[in-house]
Amino acid sequence: MIIGIPNGLLNIKYRDAIQEFLNTIGFTTVVSPKTNKEILDLGVLNCVDEACLPVKIFHGHVEYLRDRCDIVLVPRIMKLNKNEFICPKFCGLPEMVKYSLDIKNIICPTITAYNEKTLRNSLYNFSKTFRVDKEKFKRAYKGFKSNIYKYNKTSISNPNLRVLLLGHPYLIYDDFINMNLAKKLHQNGVEVFTEDNIEPYDYTYRLIKKPFWTFLRSTYNCAISLVETGKIDGIIYISSFGCGIDSFSIDLIKKDIGSFPYLVLKIDEHTGEAGIDTRIEAFIDLLKRRSKNEYNISSLG
Amino acid sequence: MNITFPHLGNTYIAAKVLFDALDVEYTIPPISTKKTLEIGCLHSPDDICLPFKIMIGNYIESIEKGADTVLITGSCGPCRFGEYCELQKKVLMSLGRQINFIVIDEPSKIGIKEFLNRLSSVAKDSRLSIYKKIKALNMALKAINLIDEIEKECRFFAGYEKNKGEFSKLLKDVKREAIESKGAEGTLKVLENYKDKVDRIEIDNFKTPIKIGIIGEIYTIIDSLSNLYIEDILMNLGVSTKRTLYPSWWVKNTALSALKINRSPIYKEAKHYLGMCIGGHAQECVGEAMLNYKMRFDGLIQIFPVGCMPEIVSKAILPDIEKRYNIPILSLVVDEMTGEAGYYTRIEAFLDLIEGRKRMCI
Ligand code: SF4
Ligand code: SF4
Repeated sequence: MIIGIPNGLLNIKYRDAIQEFLNTIGFTTVVSPKTNKEILDLGVLNCVDEACLPVKIFHGHVEYLRDRCDIVLVPRIMKLNKNEFICPKFCGLPEMVKYSLDIKNIICPTITAYNEKTLRNSLYNFSKTFRVDKEKFKRAYKGFKSNIYKYNKTSISNPNLRVLLLGHPYLIYDDFINMNLAKKLHQNGVEVFTEDNIEPYDYTYRLIKKPFWTFLRSTYNCAISLVETGKIDGIIYISSFGCGIDSFSIDLIKKDIGSFPYLVLKIDEHTGEAGIDTRIEAFIDLLKRRSKNEYNISSLG
Repeated sequence: MNITFPHLGNTYIAAKVLFDALDVEYTIPPISTKKTLEIGCLHSPDDICLPFKIMIGNYIESIEKGADTVLITGSCGPCRFGEYCELQKKVLMSLGRQINFIVIDEPSKIGIKEFLNRLSSVAKDSRLSIYKKIKALNMALKAINLIDEIEKECRFFAGYEKNKGEFSKLLKDVKREAIESKGAEGTLKVLENYKDKVDRIEIDNFKTPIKIGIIGEIYTIIDSLSNLYIEDILMNLGVSTKRTLYPSWWVKNTALSALKINRSPIYKEAKHYLGMCIGGHAQECVGEAMLNYKMRFDGLIQIFPVGCMPEIVSKAILPDIEKRYNIPILSLVVDEMTGEAGYYTRIEAFLDLIEGRKRMCI
């Protein structure tokens, strides 16, 4: 049996691990290509209009795979942290895909993974549907663990600017959606931090209520940690229109960092690359000017 | 301490009863109007969902009238509503308003002790005995059940009334009198009175009005400002409407779910399409759609605010129900920019469609 893995949403991060897992069990897998125009159009055409861009693109990936494999994997990711949720659209993703695309051959394992045990359980339950024996599962699970995506830090020697790039993994790692944002920053000599290559402290005690969204908590912590320790010169937040969770975190962060340089890029299927480029350039200029000024002041003082 | 709260349908009547009975100071926010929405939009993040904005408008208008403490529930579901208080507080603080928030969360999340703590902080200024306080809570519950029951009947039987406009007049009167009457007992008496009156309005059982179920995101279907008074409009057109999501339903549902004895048929009906809670009220929306179909309703209207995450999922599911069970469904997405003209045209076209189907006996 050939299982299709859509290359969208969190699959981007866990793609290799999932592939290894399924291969070890003994399936052939096919991964949809990186997001491109065709996939975007397929998604926009088939998905509910009001949905956010990443979800639309995910629909595109599924549609692309539909005739190229026997069954498409649409995971239902419920929780990645205890007492926290990801996003209603993740929980309802299989339903959205099923009814919007009118597709029957999907398999939707429910993933609840806030620690080793629950992750293992979720995967075990998933593999049970294929009647996999314990030994094989053990090997497959090992393969899964050792293939989880690791962000390799591309460090630029002697960077004059450091920027924290915030946003959901599927926006940051999908170069088609974000229009090569990271590359563009590198070309300008900016070093980029992302959630995956820093270790934030927990600043949520500052809030009256513990946030129950994983994305909200992690972006908030990252931003505040780096701003407080003075490791960065600016923050770029990339988000998609209609993302309910970002609408919170963007403002929550903004209200806490005061006048710290902060650029919010919102994208959807109509966003033009030129406009984004200008805004990034302007932002980098601003950062450069600021760092110069700071230097002047300190040398004077 | 002067307590205020955001509007949600008829809760203000229950709140009046509660605070009157507790004998604490409170401010009922002025009825939400376009102005409220404008104020709210001005101070809220752009992309936030509509309920947030209207609530901010409510707070600010209440603060101007002297309130200093906001009481809200923070349902810990996986949706934005539970996260509201955080950002709302920051918004109000950045406006230079000193304001306290009392967030009533589910006991299972914050611990029973903290829950009781917060509850009692509401009645801090009240000098009544604990027994009287519980009685006050009880009266408030009774009030919300009564007024919701009255409203429900008015809306449903509006299509059957003999003399046009009676139900809609009665609904207006009861709300006005309830809020103007003195004391908690006074309000309750008014409500009970009107409950009898509703039953005495003459109806014509031979009529066959269009029957429409209103489903969707709980706040926007309850709050008439955000749905541009859809129920009133349908009522005036002689259409019978039904909606299950009332504040009283929410209270009951939350209580039952907390005790894990919720057997509402909604969830059974929704199961085939959406077997789990994904946040917000998507499951209820789908379940309601099925229930209304089974009760032979002529059509369904789904309403939700722009960017509402759970309802987008249900919107993806509804077309399948529409096709399979042959029941027309209209999805209306609202925000502060929704134009009245286009909105009403769509509703009218939808009613025409149903009218036509009825005539052809589909
Ligand atoms: S977190 Fe935001 S961007 Fe991601 S699926 Fe949910 S709404 Fe869309
Ligand atoms: S259910 Fe919709 S309207 Fe309500 S908080 Fe969630 S996103 Fe906002």
